[in-house]
Amino acid sequence: MRSLATTSNVRRFVSLLMFMFCLVRCAASGSAQSEPGQTIAGSMPELGELESGNVDIRLYEQSPVQDRWPAEAESLAKPSLTWQSTHFFVSRLPLRYDDWGIRDSWQAPLLLRVSADVKIPQGNHRLLLRARALSRLWIDGRVAASTDALSKSPPDGEEPITPIPTPIVAGMRLPGYRQQEVVSPLSIESDSTCRVVLEVVVGGKGARTETGEVCVAIQREGCEHFELLRPTASRSENIRLIDAEVEPLCKSIERQLAAMDTERRHSAEATRDEYWKKRRDYVQRWLNAHPAPSIPTSGNDAAAPSVHPIDAFIVEKINKSLSSSDVNNSPEARNFNEKVLPLLRAQCFRCHADKANGGLRLNTREAALAGGDSGVPAIQPGDSEASELLRRIASDDESERMPPGDKALTKEQIELVRDWIKQGAQWYARPVQPEDVKLPPVIDDEKFLRRVYFDAIGLPPTDKAVHVFLADQREDKRQRLIRELLADSRLADQWMPYWQDVLAENPTIINASLNSTGPFRWFIYDSLIDNKPVDRWVTELIMMRGNAHEGGSAGFGLAGENDAPMATKAQIIGSAFLGIEMQCARCHDSPFHSTLQKDLYSLAAYLERKAVTVPKTSSVPVAFFEKKARESLIKVTLPTGQSIDPAWPFADETGSTEDDALDELLEKKDDSRERLAALITSPTNHRFAQVFVNRVWKQLMGAGFVEPVQDWEGRMPSHPELLQWLAHDFMTHGYDMRHLLETIMTSQAYSREAIGRNATAEYDVRFFNAPDRRRMTSEQIVDSLYFTAGMSMDVEELTFVHDGRRPMSSRLTLGRPTRAWMMANLANERDRPSLTLPKAVMVGEVMEAFGWTGARQSSINQREGSPTAIQPGVLSNSVLSVWVTRVAAGSKLADIALNASSPDDLVQQLFLRYLSRRPSESERKMFVAELSDGFADRVIETVLSEAQSLPPPLPLVTWFNHLQSEANLIQQEHERRVAAGPPVDVRLNPQWRERLEDTVWSLINHREFVWMP
Amino acid sequence: MAHALHTLHATEPAPATLPPQGQAEHVISIWLGGGMGQIDTFDPKRRGDPKAKKAGSYYDSIDTAVPNVQVSEHLKGIAPLMEHVTAVRTVNHNVIDEHAAATNRMHTGRAISGTITYPSIGSLVASQLEPMEAGAPRYVLIGYPNVTRGPGFLGPNAGYIYLTDTSRGPIGLSRPQSITQDRQNHRSELLNRFREATPESTDPRLKEYDSVIDESLKLSGPEFNRSFQLNEEPESLRAEYGGEFGQRCLVARRLVQRGVRFIEVSHNLNFLNGAGWDVHNEGILKQHALIQELDTAVAALLRDLKKQGLLDKTLVTITTEFGRPPEFDSGGGRGHQGSAFTCVLMGGGLKHCGAYGTTDDLAKKIVSDPVSVPDFFATILWSLGIDPSLNLYDGDRPVPITDGGKPIAALFGV
Repeated sequence: MRSLATTSNVRRFVSLLMFMFCLVRCAASGSAQSEPGQTIAGSMPELGELESGNVDIRLYEQSPVQDRWPAEAESLAKPSLTWQSTHFFVSRLPLRYDDWGIRDSWQAPLLLRVSADVKIPQGNHRLLLRARALSRLWIDGRVAASTDALSKSPPDGEEPITPIPTPIVAGMRLPGYRQQEVVSPLSIESDSTCRVVLEVVVGGKGARTETGEVCVAIQREGCEHFELLRPTASRSENIRLIDAEVEPLCKSIERQLAAMDTERRHSAEATRDEYWKKRRDYVQRWLNAHPAPSIPTSGNDAAAPSVHPIDAFIVEKINKSLSSSDVNNSPEARNFNEKVLPLLRAQCFRCHADKANGGLRLNTREAALAGGDSGVPAIQPGDSEASELLRRIASDDESERMPPGDKALTKEQIELVRDWIKQGAQWYARPVQPEDVKLPPVIDDEKFLRRVYFDAIGLPPTDKAVHVFLADQREDKRQRLIRELLADSRLADQWMPYWQDVLAENPTIINASLNSTGPFRWFIYDSLIDNKPVDRWVTELIMMRGNAHEGGSAGFGLAGENDAPMATKAQIIGSAFLGIEMQCARCHDSPFHSTLQKDLYSLAAYLERKAVTVPKTSSVPVAFFEKKARESLIKVTLPTGQSIDPAWPFADETGSTEDDALDELLEKKDDSRERLAALITSPTNHRFAQVFVNRVWKQLMGAGFVEPVQDWEGRMPSHPELLQWLAHDFMTHGYDMRHLLETIMTSQAYSREAIGRNATAEYDVRFFNAPDRRRMTSEQIVDSLYFTAGMSMDVEELTFVHDGRRPMSSRLTLGRPTRAWMMANLANERDRPSLTLPKAVMVGEVMEAFGWTGARQSSINQREGSPTAIQPGVLSNSVLSVWVTRVAAGSKLADIALNASSPDDLVQQLFLRYLSRRPSESERKMFVAELSDGFADRVIETVLSEAQSLPPPLPLVTWFNHLQSEANLIQQEHERRVAAGPPVDVRLNPQWRERLEDTVWSLINHREFVWMP
Repeated sequence: MAHALHTLHATEPAPATLPPQGQAEHVISIWLGGGMGQIDTFDPKRRGDPKAKKAGSYYDSIDTAVPNVQVSEHLKGIAPLMEHVTAVRTVNHNVIDEHAAATNRMHTGRAISGTITYPSIGSLVASQLEPMEAGAPRYVLIGYPNVTRGPGFLGPNAGYIYLTDTSRGPIGLSRPQSITQDRQNHRSELLNRFREATPESTDPRLKEYDSVIDESLKLSGPEFNRSFQLNEEPESLRAEYGGEFGQRCLVARRLVQRGVRFIEVSHNLNFLNGAGWDVHNEGILKQHALIQELDTAVAALLRDLKKQGLLDKTLVTITTEFGRPPEFDSGGGRGHQGSAFTCVLMGGGLKHCGAYGTTDDLAKKIVSDPVSVPDFFATILWSLGIDPSLNLYDGDRPVPITDGGKPIAALFGV
């Protein structure tokens, strides 16, 4: 129902039709008198005095209706949020947080009221209203314009393509996709101040709580352009409705909203401080009762007080190993340590070392001679034929052959063991050579700077930062650098990928698929940005709060196409925070671990807050056991359908117990999910802090003290005391990840040449005398490609819904990525060109080559790191490589090229920019030679012109129209445009420009660009 | 990769439960996303009428080279070649409503698992067979990349290289269009001089990366990229293969000749009818054009492989998400049917019989010789001599290469 305006897109008719209705007599400000004959329900809302000079915006939740205006009786609650703006312009809603500060959803339908008193001069003007759904614009009590409610749900692909709208006035900013646009005349008899109230309905059934770009603008009589409406006494600028003026406003509004979001989140979080203060006190009491291991002080230079505790522990282990090392370097000893022991370790230790299957251990000579439960010694030194071990590995009888399974040892392997027993089965201590444990030098300033930058913020230093750091003469400049970078909010960007992987964050923008989750990336990001203590954010994760589809930790709780989601979550929590791997326990007891099926499902029951049953699919087919020649290694101990209650199975492993002491940490004692969170994050759980410390250590040093980081059972830490000390220190400092990072990064161990072999060494010979060489992550590589080129990441918004007509629960929006971690699974299983996002694909294909995947179906604790030809391939040949190596019109590279004082200067700049170092003499020479020819004449006297303007815009392809053939053609045209790359900068001589591009290309294709120094 | 390459070859006896081993060396796997309706293609039945809501085929049927085996009238090219073809008419699974899930089932041969990412059939083959020629990739995908088509727990060595457009070559390994060959040569030369100017590293990890830089420069050079240069083929042959899909099939043949073991060629490009093979509602109106495009390309491929002496060594398959029911939906199109549908095997040295397995008079229920998805996978693997009961390992965990699949014995001459 509307009388004063229509919502037709056929705007040309609008003004003609409407003129007769629109004689608004402006009365005194605040008047809301309805004229008789008013056909729209309700009247202009009474808002009282409005702050002069500002636009007042109020957001009401749970508006009673979505597709019509509420009657008087259907009254609104108080506004949930009120804020101010400068113009009648709304680009998005502020975020909603729950009372813990975790992202939540607004309770739709929402009503948004945007109001101000506006001075409008005498004259015949035109008003313009843009809104997505039902809206009406009141001027002094009369409705001056309105838009329609969203009609019924759109089809899944067959909607006709929506053409690009034609602007009402040439050069005008176009309305957002499927944003309704209404123009109506406004006649003002004499200059007056009018009360203007815009009411907009947002979201509701079948819709997102997104506004699109809402605005009210006015074209004053005699003016060419529309201007955004702004209040009387506004201190802000007049903004014409053209991109060049609206874009900066969008940016400033976005900054304002982001600051507001942060502030509101912080104040919600602050309500939890009291509880966490109690938790801190509890931790402190525990720490007092359980002091840290003392830092070694003797036998080395560590006696000096300046020695970092980490280095003291590391040097102590090296010295001990050297002094106790068996210097006997006989061929027999080498044979044992290089061949026999690795074989035993690989083939036997899984069941016969820390875990003594059949009572038998084979990890020491004594244990092997003693034998297992049968009492038969496994080894008779000197008599291989009488040794049970040999008999079992050489047996043809599959029912008793060891190791079990279908892969028997090879003849050579059996011979190796036979000879070793024959020669007396001597167990030689592993020799440690001084050169294996020597401490390499600490790296130089250039390398150190680059290493710290990547580890802290995931980006290289700018060339300026390199200059400043190299010039800095202060002795503690490295510590200062570390502290400064750890305080940088981009630390969150650097650590996001790790937790997305470990916690299997797996949002999909089309249908839910295997183990897809909500986008709880935003929960993790907020936690990292706010530097929440780790025990706190892990608790909040396990509590699964906020909205699952809009970034709350509840999104962690989802698991698409999974019939026991909480079992999956329990498995992730176990491996992520306790180092307990329960992957096998989904369907059967673990063959090489002590975890049982029941353990996993009892944790799942905690999360579910009630008993759970084992789904039918989570078992092993009976046929599997029937065809086995021997008793199977795996046992199904839970019949499907069995009900399992919450129970804590890991008291022995973790030290955490279900008892009264735990109750002290709980706010709701009967909430089993909270109970589980406390069992995991309580200081009594010695695994929690250690597992966390171990994970962070590995990220910086290339290997953990305990490997693999997610599966501690039966593994020994390489440096037990150091691990304990770090965990203790981490807890003492309030589970602060930044403190932990600082502790590690300020050690000499972290700063040494990366020649370590820790990742491949067994725990007893893993010394961390040097960090391992690390390849940069996919995210670091992509972010540095953009960063070094001076470009911002520019890809499509990750969604197929641009007009709000689907709730987030069925089609997600993941926003427009600005850092690589914000990318997501772009799988196009339907093989429809219309469902590609060519720019995002361009980024995704580089990330995938280096081991990233957006489809994290289960936890990724270590990305696949093996080198493949595709890795250098995408740096050489991909579309992204074309974009970042082109000297594009108006680009940073063009700028550098135009302003360089000499080829030498240019080469120096490029080396600092791309590799954070100065070129060597031979490098300098070769690149200067490359760029000297034509350098003097490189600049062409011309200006960047309109000729370099963008190709015409293409209609938008969405989920709703993607099955139209035209949709495929449009996306393919996009693909072609993206593949062609940006236009070049015509101010540079093409031949010389290409040589510059080739230089940049070779810098990003050198191994140094992708390997940490 | 942790596992040794393993393949049974003629010297090793086949396990007792298996029929004589196949001798194929390559697979070209044609994928029809969206779900090919068996009743409108390889398992035709009586004519139906969408207007009268009478269930049945959309088209007439025609005879083929194999007596008593008929196909849709729009498969005129394949019909005379049916002695090299077996339409397996009784493939079945229980996934219906979700395209990604059905795509996953038909690529991995398994129901999804919450704990492991299963490899695709292409990766299974790649994990077991070295390329026929050194330097060639094992597995090439012509279509969009995704996890479903990937190596899962087998790791990147069993992964694919891929291209989405035959005019562009493989992603990461073909020179960008804006860079001429001369310029690419200059770049490589510049990079190599730069690499020489920096001291050689003793770090094995850096050395390994340096060696893949060399490999990448080589693969993206003109020699390997020749496989994608269709202008080396006679114009008449290219015309015989038809449009972009046909050109993809021709690239696949060239890759077979280059030594690649498994090539997946995706068909559903959606241009002919928007919906591709997912012919709900009006999507069905131009389904015949889609079938004809498939027919043109596949018939050309079979003839070409035969002429080149490659047909017996190359198994060509047509697989799809699920089939479609004989009934029509409210818009005159068809829904999904996973309980009985057709996948096709061609060439590869199998003993073809035109069609295998029988459905009822509306291709709705299986009457005889059902073939599970694992059985279908076992047939493909065994045609290459890969034991379908072989265990692969995800760390400690043994994962049989098929989920208990048994090859279709009749196709191996039993």
